[in-house]
Amino acid sequence: MIMSEHHMGDHISQEGTDQQKKSAYTSSVYTIPDWLMASEIYEPQTERDTFVNKSILSVFSLLSKIKAQETNQALWYDINTPVNIAGTFLLLLLVALSKSFVFVLIIGVYLLAVLSTFDAPRLVRILKMSMGTTLFSAVIMLPAFLTGNSYSSIMIPCKVLISITIMGLLSQSAKWNSITGALKKFYIPDIFILILDIAIKYMYMLGELSLCLFQALKLRSVGKNKSKYSSLAGITGTVFLQSKEMAEDMYHAMECRGFSGEYHIIHKQRIRWKDIIFMVVNAGFIVLFFYFRSYQ
Amino acid sequence: MHIPDNYLSPATCAVMGGAMVPVWTRAVRKVKAELSKVKIPMLGVGAAFSFLLMMFNIPLPGGTTGHAVGGTLLAILLGPYGACISITVALFLQALLFGDGGILSFGANCFNMAFVLPFAGYYIYRMIKNSIKSEKGEFIGMAFGSYVGINLAALCTAIEFGIQPLLFKDAAGQALYCPYPLSVSIPAMVLPHLLVAGIAEAVFTIAIILFIKRVSPGSFYEGKKEKNKSIYGLIIMLVCLTPLGILAAGTAWGEWGAEEISGLLSADGMTGFTPVGMQNGFSFNAVIPDYAVSGLPEPAGYVLSAIAGTAILIIFFKILGSLKKEKE
Repeated sequence: MIMSEHHMGDHISQEGTDQQKKSAYTSSVYTIPDWLMASEIYEPQTERDTFVNKSILSVFSLLSKIKAQETNQALWYDINTPVNIAGTFLLLLLVALSKSFVFVLIIGVYLLAVLSTFDAPRLVRILKMSMGTTLFSAVIMLPAFLTGNSYSSIMIPCKVLISITIMGLLSQSAKWNSITGALKKFYIPDIFILILDIAIKYMYMLGELSLCLFQALKLRSVGKNKSKYSSLAGITGTVFLQSKEMAEDMYHAMECRGFSGEYHIIHKQRIRWKDIIFMVVNAGFIVLFFYFRSYQ
Repeated sequence: MHIPDNYLSPATCAVMGGAMVPVWTRAVRKVKAELSKVKIPMLGVGAAFSFLLMMFNIPLPGGTTGHAVGGTLLAILLGPYGACISITVALFLQALLFGDGGILSFGANCFNMAFVLPFAGYYIYRMIKNSIKSEKGEFIGMAFGSYVGINLAALCTAIEFGIQPLLFKDAAGQALYCPYPLSVSIPAMVLPHLLVAGIAEAVFTIAIILFIKRVSPGSFYEGKKEKNKSIYGLIIMLVCLTPLGILAAGTAWGEWGAEEISGLLSADGMTGFTPVGMQNGFSFNAVIPDYAVSGLPEPAGYVLSAIAGTAILIIFFKILGSLKKEKE
């Protein structure tokens, strides 16, 4: 009996809840909550993302430059790197010191001839670099040209063009790691080589890291994100902490493998015929420099 | 054959430039459609050939000089449209950097050397090659095509010079621009080309095509053996030989400066007269005028100009080739 009563009560209570539900259901048919009714048109405010996009692009261009060093096809102009560096500095010095337009012209024609043998991607890279700076210096020299100082206002942009092209030739023909190796030949202290070497290697890894961070920031900010600039501090901070950690790890790893802070050159580049020709050409430039010293 | 500024009236220059616009448009379209990305740098090599050939001045009877153009050569190697573009760029460089040929008369120079010459030469070559089907026929075609081509170009130049005194005179009846009428200009231009420059053009054309066909047919014809080193070798050799071009003293007919022409005219019995249009005409200072660098011996200046011109042309077309998108 008790059980049945219990059942009964159970039944009644169930019925009661059913009725409650029904009434709630019927009332809710007619009143949909407001928040569901409101038409949801969210148009994120357009933002041009200039700063993030620009940062991503500049990081990308740096990375591609470093990557390009590895994938560049072989070039006939692969002069022995120490010789190449010495020649480059000699030429830069001569061009800077020369007052003779003819000498500058001869160097310019020599560079044109060398450039014409380069492949198109390298050519474009070198010329972009040198043309941009030359244009800039030409604009700066414009007032001097207008006030009648035509000599230096023509000479200086020419020298800028030639100097940047000379540097471009070096950077496009010698790999960065071979340049740091060549510095050893010039008695540069080991600590500088170490720093330069690690800097170049880590520029790539940290560049990739910051690229990831930038892309994450771009994905997460929908519409106008006013606190984006404050994220910049976060990105730089993270990259800095990461770099510190990585540098310590690497230094320990190097020490474990017996690195005592001294650099030794293992692979010696041999002097070949083209290196000798390169040296002769540069010696010729020295002669020409003194020959044309009397001309203006 | 390079007409300097102020020899033609501005009106003539405008007409000739206008005539070149459709030719250039069609040439660019044709080259874009037909030439693959890899072959575009060859246009630069072609332009360099033409540039160098024009530096070899040959002494002509009458104390003037002439030169080959290589128009038919380029038309056979690159097709007439490719040749048109190559020679146009070479002429532009000559006018701008070396003061060879005028800026205003650029259109007229292009009409003669970049349009009439390669197209006439190429179609004559094709006609003869198709009618005599043997290797001999091909050579006869090359020789005849290049010979006729350069002479037609010289004839056009002479006509452009010759109509100036007919059309443009001042109140006193004196010529404003080129003072020589057709009866003088045609024999003066065409005879030396018939006798000497035309033969030089034919010899250069055959010699260079023979060389390329033997050594590196792939450089210009798709899918054949390619050895660009030897082509560059040939260019370097031509550069080294350019000082030979100075051996021929004297200015080419119709390329005199304002003082030179005054002297010439007084020798012809027209003393103290310089055409007005020439005296106060448009003047443009080139970077290396007449391929001579002040302070350098003449041969050195010539070689320097040759290297610079060749290198600029090759670099220009290399960059152009890298800009072209490959067709799918």
